[in-house]
Amino acid sequence: MDASEVEFLAEKETVKIIPNFSLDKIYLIGGDLGPFNPGLPVDVPVWLALNLKQRQKCRIVPPAWMDVDKLEEMRDLERKEDTFTPVPSPYYMELTKLLLNFASDNIPKADEIRTLVKDIWDTRIAKLRLSADSFISQLEAHAKLDNLTLMEINTIRAFLLDSLNCLYKLRSNQHPGSSKGQFADF
Amino acid sequence: MFITDIRKEFYEVVANQRVALLVASDIDALCACKIIQALFHCDQVQYTLIPVTAWQDLGTAFLEHKEQFKYFVLINCGANVDLLEMLQPDDDSVFFICDTHRPVDVVNVYNDSQIKLLIKQDDDLGVPSYDDIFRDEEDEEGADSGNESEDGSEPSGKRRRFDEGAIERRIDRQRAKREWETRRREILFDYEQYEYHGTSAAVMFFELAWVLTKDTKDMLWWAIIGLTDQWVHDKITHMKYVTDIATMQRHVSRHNHRNEDEENSLSIDCMRISFEYDLRLTLYQHWSLYESICNSCYTTCHFKLWTLNGQKKLQEFLADMGLPLKQVRQKFNSMDMTIKENLRDVIEESSNKYGMKDIRIQTFGVHFGFKNRFLAVDMVHATAALLESTEKDESNSDNFIKALDSLSRSNLDRLHSGIDLAKKKLMAIQQTVASCICTNLILSQGPFLYCYLMEGTPDVKLFSRPMALTLLCKYLLKAFVSSTRNKRCKLLPLIMAAPKDLEKGTVIVLGIPPESETSDKKNFFGRAFEKAAESTSSRTLHDNFDTSIIELKTEDRSKFLDALITLLS
Repeated sequence: MDASEVEFLAEKETVKIIPNFSLDKIYLIGGDLGPFNPGLPVDVPVWLALNLKQRQKCRIVPPAWMDVDKLEEMRDLERKEDTFTPVPSPYYMELTKLLLNFASDNIPKADEIRTLVKDIWDTRIAKLRLSADSFISQLEAHAKLDNLTLMEINTIRAFLLDSLNCLYKLRSNQHPGSSKGQFADF
Repeated sequence: MFITDIRKEFYEVVANQRVALLVASDIDALCACKIIQALFHCDQVQYTLIPVTAWQDLGTAFLEHKEQFKYFVLINCGANVDLLEMLQPDDDSVFFICDTHRPVDVVNVYNDSQIKLLIKQDDDLGVPSYDDIFRDEEDEEGADSGNESEDGSEPSGKRRRFDEGAIERRIDRQRAKREWETRRREILFDYEQYEYHGTSAAVMFFELAWVLTKDTKDMLWWAIIGLTDQWVHDKITHMKYVTDIATMQRHVSRHNHRNEDEENSLSIDCMRISFEYDLRLTLYQHWSLYESICNSCYTTCHFKLWTLNGQKKLQEFLADMGLPLKQVRQKFNSMDMTIKENLRDVIEESSNKYGMKDIRIQTFGVHFGFKNRFLAVDMVHATAALLESTEKDESNSDNFIKALDSLSRSNLDRLHSGIDLAKKKLMAIQQTVASCICTNLILSQGPFLYCYLMEGTPDVKLFSRPMALTLLCKYLLKAFVSSTRNKRCKLLPLIMAAPKDLEKGTVIVLGIPPESETSDKKNFFGRAFEKAAESTSSRTLHDNFDTSIIELKTEDRSKFLDALITLLS
């Protein structure tokens, strides 16, 4: 899976916008999108929100978790714990990037939010690396990681699988004839 | 006809149609094009962008596209010529013209169906009234023949008297008609004699965006660049520039007020436009201060930097300000912070002592990200250098697209390459000016000054383009005025000729009005060139949208000049 595919999936998340035009309810394959009235907030998927924002037809309201204080708390919690803490949104990284690239004038203190989200991401990726390292060095068969987001999994997936396959090849060459099927693909 | 409600009569008409955008090759047109493109993108209007450089280009482009389009938007071209006669369009084609060239042709003003002018009517136009120019001929002849047929049924005696009466009336009518025609010719001659420029097209389109409440800071910045282009290339008077700057300043404060809150400050990546009372040193923030002083028209002409004395005065000036030479020759961004802080005030104080009272000019600057700061003047020079770049294998439309791209915020490396080209162009201009003054290449021909750039002059290829040649001409005239002692010569206009196409053997000839503090920038060379070409049957091409720039065969140069001298003296 490519990072751009993950971003594409992230665009299905809903976000609140305030349109400046009016339109009746539209019926799309993915669901109905409520009637648009100027000045009244409505929930739409991120892809539509960004398109309307670029055409200057709406104002994007930042999601509730995209707030400096809340993100500071989350970052501190993440640094304290050894395991992964619950994330504000399963697509927090992609949403931050998309919203801050296209709608940074609607989001207060955008620079600080960007820094905080990056801090959270860095901490989690560091934990992921540590955990993968201990998984391989201690030759474990199972691992259970809670609260990982698709983007983080995607970052480590290719490397982890390739390295496990290489290790398997090395081990099966060391002990010819015996096949250890414990390193399965997932 | 003039459009009063630009939203209803222009935008809502074209919003559901396919539109052809014909854009002239100057920076103001490029900025206007960017603004209207952004508006079209918002509303998903289908359009085709066609860059045009001259009348012939416009004609060919129109012929290619007239089958597919009914609505044409012309930016900075087409107002000063009878468009319907030139293009011969179908009856249902509609032209929306937003042009800064004045005077607007009277046919364009009084045509109600096909030509719509996106020009403000209070823009100082002086269009002659309808009755002075147009007259319905058919009514009078109809009345005359009607009388005759009635008279024909009368008995013969009375008919003779009525016939005499009819003949007298006809003679009177013919005399009145002749008088009216002479007066019409005079009025038209006065109206079309001087060529000048009106409000920037980019500003017009920005006001359209404002009326639609779709104006963004990007569009405001483009409007400011369009206005600054008019000032840099000397198309509008200083008064008009200051008035338009004040209008733009109102928009800038409106945008800044809307987006800047005390606690929720805007991201550093957002665009911030600010009013600056900045120095008249071209590109000084992207160059070293010393280079900028040596290559800016204002400072060079005041110090007379082509003389040894001038160089000494410059050193004195720098010493007077307390700026060490090493700092001043360094790239501006690497200069000492302590020097940069009060630079503008220090320079203004010292330049007052040296007789340069207007070293500072009102302009705007933009600032986005941590290291991107540009003044409007910088952007104009960069984009102009890209638009007229004379690299090989680059067609006019390539240059147009590159210049158009450099105006977007996302194409910063294009903009920086434009700034480098602009630096080369400015240095070439200064060297050419210095050599022309030192070798006395400017000759006084009586009613005007004349200068010819020989083929072997370095960088002469750069000056085969109209905008670069205009800048050179302007700087040369200023330098000449500051260096000559002859009082009469200071009030003369300047005509400049430079080789344009070596294969075809043509030169580009350009005339600018005389240099003065209160100049109204009205140029009479358009008509003068036409008349001179006619009277000597020289092979000329009056192709450029500015009628004061023509192309002429090299061999016809001398007789053309002689005709001009006799015409203007």
